[in-house]
Amino acid sequence: MTGPVIHDVHTLPANDNVHAYAFSVDLDGRWFLQKGKMIAYYGQIDFHGIGHGHLEGLIAGSFHSPLHAADWVVAEGRGKMLLADRSFDVNSYDLDEGNLTIRSGNLLAFQPSLSLKQSIIPGFLTLIGTGTFVAASNGPVVFVEPPIRVDPQALVGWADCPSPCHHYDHQYLRGFWGGLRAHTGIGGASGEEHQFEFTGAGTVLLQSTEQVLPERETGALPAEEGVPGGGVPAPESGSQLPQLPGGLGGLQRRFGL
Amino acid sequence: MLAVDLAGDAVRAKNGAMVAYDGQMAFKKMTGGGEGLRGMVTRRLTGEQMAVMEVKGQGTCYFADRATEINLVRLQGEKLFVEASNLLCTDAALRTGTTFTGLRGASQGNGLFTTTVEGHGQAALTSDGPAVVLRVTREYPLQVDPGAYVAHTGQLKQHLQSGVNFRTFLGEGSGEAFQLRFEGEGLVYVQPSERTTVGGEV
Repeated sequence: MTGPVIHDVHTLPANDNVHAYAFSVDLDGRWFLQKGKMIAYYGQIDFHGIGHGHLEGLIAGSFHSPLHAADWVVAEGRGKMLLADRSFDVNSYDLDEGNLTIRSGNLLAFQPSLSLKQSIIPGFLTLIGTGTFVAASNGPVVFVEPPIRVDPQALVGWADCPSPCHHYDHQYLRGFWGGLRAHTGIGGASGEEHQFEFTGAGTVLLQSTEQVLPERETGALPAEEGVPGGGVPAPESGSQLPQLPGGLGGLQRRFGL
Repeated sequence: MLAVDLAGDAVRAKNGAMVAYDGQMAFKKMTGGGEGLRGMVTRRLTGEQMAVMEVKGQGTCYFADRATEINLVRLQGEKLFVEASNLLCTDAALRTGTTFTGLRGASQGNGLFTTTVEGHGQAALTSDGPAVVLRVTREYPLQVDPGAYVAHTGQLKQHLQSGVNFRTFLGEGSGEAFQLRFEGEGLVYVQPSERTTVGGEV
């Protein structure tokens, strides 16, 4: 019987997976990582919480979601560092002068040559630049090219293509009876009426389950007019049909009134 | 899942870990981890509780624990240190005991004591995701997050290393404030997941 593979500081891979659930970083300088994702390391590595101090310049350069900073840590030093996340699949990806938007809970670590920004889509983060990042997913990641419609729960992120829009598959929910069915649920719904639709050139990353990784705080948004989720309501548009009281407005619209 | 072939011999397993068997098996609950009266008292005092049963018979017995990953460790006279919650099954020839680990346990939330396994034979460890086995040598000590530590073997000295500084108290902690530092010669088993620990929050 052969025993398990024994790793030491020399046989650990450099910036590659140890197995599907652990990733080894050959650290010589700095990396950003999510709090609590380091499981072991060799060598001299210091972990700094993000805040004011000698890392201020670095953070100003590659970190753009200020209030979200408490969830991130800078690893600084030399050595090999192992990263893992609740025994989910982890993978590294290389960006070359590119951009990638990823669900906030999935991003594990990234090189400071990339810069991290909040996406204008709530709950997503965008990485821009050249460098390596590590992401977790529930099951292996599948890469697909647009045009494609994906299930919201299976979406991990997308690279280089325009942001998605919502797509509702209401072909079979038309007319009066369709409206009744959509509104009351009588007759049933397939649970797949709503998708994200991607178009244009790029890559879409999907995970192979519909179990979403818990979301991470992406930081508060500036309260400005025109910022989605910024908390400032858009000015009211012109006159509309008088709406029935209660939730019946939706019903009106569904029946084409 | 772990399959154990038995031909009249016995293994010790975590209570209730059997999921299936064929052949003839007898399951006997062993009070105090099968370590006799002294072991029983020690375990009671230290809180390193371990409910163990002895499985004896002819055939194949299957063990599993909450779909966690199982890692086999072959011992040839050395001593394995493992958390009682991570120990699934041992050969009957292996001796188990309790040992003091010091402050480390406190940071892990697993108590101040750990379980030791000694002798010749195999032990099965559970981990959340397949464990990574890391070698520690004199030149290359290893630091491990307390929440990811599963077990270790060999001549290792461990101590708790803390990176707590004034910024931790300003709410700018790194989340990696405590690490276990292993020095000497040996192997450390690390799982790709972190238990919730007291230390992980600062």
